[in-house]
Amino acid sequence: MQNMRGMSTLPVLLTVVAVIALFLLPNFVESTYALHIMILIFISVIMGSGWNILGGYTGQYSVGHAAYFGVGAYTTIVLMQYQHIAPWYGVWAGILVAVAIALIIGSICFRLRGPYFVLASIAVAEIFRVTALNLKKLTNGAEGILITDIPPFKIGDIVITDFMSKIPFYYIGLVTLIIAIIVTWLLQNSKLGYYFQAIREDQDAAHSLGINLTVYKNVALAFSVVFTSLAGSLYGLYVGFIDPTTVLALDLSVQIVMICIIGGIGTIFGPVIGAVVLVPFSEALRSNMIAQALIDSGLVNENSGVGTFLKEQLSHAHVLIYGILLVVVILFMPDGILGFIRKKLSAKQRKEAI
Amino acid sequence: MAILEIKHVSKFFGGLAANSDVSFEMVTGMIMGLIGPNGAGKTTLFNCITGYYPPSRGEILFDGHRMNGLNPDAVCKLGMARTWQKVRPLAKMSVVDNVMVGALCRTNSLKKARDIAMEKIKVVGLEKRIKVLAGSLPIGERKKLEVARVLATKPKLLLLDEVMGGLNPAESEEIIQLILDIKNLGITQMVIEHDMKAIMRISDRIVVLNSGEKLAEGNPQEIVSNKAVIDAYLGGE
Repeated sequence: MQNMRGMSTLPVLLTVVAVIALFLLPNFVESTYALHIMILIFISVIMGSGWNILGGYTGQYSVGHAAYFGVGAYTTIVLMQYQHIAPWYGVWAGILVAVAIALIIGSICFRLRGPYFVLASIAVAEIFRVTALNLKKLTNGAEGILITDIPPFKIGDIVITDFMSKIPFYYIGLVTLIIAIIVTWLLQNSKLGYYFQAIREDQDAAHSLGINLTVYKNVALAFSVVFTSLAGSLYGLYVGFIDPTTVLALDLSVQIVMICIIGGIGTIFGPVIGAVVLVPFSEALRSNMIAQALIDSGLVNENSGVGTFLKEQLSHAHVLIYGILLVVVILFMPDGILGFIRKKLSAKQRKEAI
Repeated sequence: MAILEIKHVSKFFGGLAANSDVSFEMVTGMIMGLIGPNGAGKTTLFNCITGYYPPSRGEILFDGHRMNGLNPDAVCKLGMARTWQKVRPLAKMSVVDNVMVGALCRTNSLKKARDIAMEKIKVVGLEKRIKVLAGSLPIGERKKLEVARVLATKPKLLLLDEVMGGLNPAESEEIIQLILDIKNLGITQMVIEHDMKAIMRISDRIVVLNSGEKLAEGNPQEIVSNKAVIDAYLGGE
């Protein structure tokens, strides 16, 4: 574990430069598609960081975090569409509802350990998805909710933003992401962080050292759900449409976990790296960019059997390729990309020392 | 003054009595040896005392508190700490972080916890290993780490479950010295051990369990000459 003095200056400097660059980016980038990808990455980092607190630091692998993502999104958007409550209040309501639900679920499910907890978390998320499908009065069922318009954000009479472009979402995403990372860092360097990791490493040992397992697991869950719910609200507002199969799906739960596993679980920047790798990759697959690139580069003939197959099928195969990617990462980089880089670096240092 | 009173404690698993009607007392500052053949119920008794199992019958009083029904974390906060027969290092955390987790039981400040941790690491002699990951320590050092970690919780009573198990004679000797050092710090200890020579040397009193029942209690000289104990260990008619 790093402490304040133990942190070397280079990573801090790089982080500061990256943050400044990200704040300036919209001034130089015209492409709305590029901004779109960036916003999706930001949302993924926020939900990944949320999961990371519970899964990465506390070792409770929830594969049902879509439940909290969905609850956050639905609360904010239902309040806005039907009660005309502005989303900057609705987001907080979303967090409150999601955390309240999470603590009820947590106090039941945390009695289970290991694979049983994983299964319970999946079951809970499925209950939420099916409930949202059937509670048509509240959620509009499978049709979903289409946001008609977001009220402009005003302080007094001055309009700060009217949410007409992608820029406000970009900055909201970026600031939330930075807060998520700072909170993770603060947690890691606090008593809570130590207790979370002790629970991850050995629950019985942690228990015998005076750690109340139920309390601290639920605390980790609450922190985790705050960011997952925020990501959900932000996603719903940004995309402008939510339905149970996008914000409450098992797919999403798995994706949240994958962001962390690929980046490196239990590390501050793991979710960042995971999202930076995974989001553009899945977008490229979905928009057939990879198949097109293979054809354009002359590697594959467009009219050959392989060419047509790739063009027609590759975009549907993103889940399959996710799976392959996950297997490759677990086989060759069990600690994720970040863990892999760290290992290489420390091996290099050791070699130099000799 | 009695720091720990075990009164008629029984623990049943289904029809099996792992402990039946065990009673004894411990005086502040003493080392109590707990011995018995495999399956005698020593670890079960530890688990009952430290809150992992509620005793089926009987009562456990520690420092004036009734312990029945308390959880392990509450037990630890009251000042009773245990080590594990099978060591449980927090593998992916460093030695100092492991001990800090124990220290955080008494403080919220990481700085204070680090100071306490360094002090306890010195007591067990792991100063050179503070930054090493606990999972990469050899068994002898893992055992010491466990002791440092429980010491950091500032216990009044320490329960050591086979801290010498699996160690070579030189390492065992170090642990014996460590147990005597801890006694000098004024901490009361209950020690489960299979190494008879060691247990005779360190214990002020010994309780012998056999098939879940208390077979004998006395000072080491009384125990080695007790016929029932010899029969239980060597097999009498």
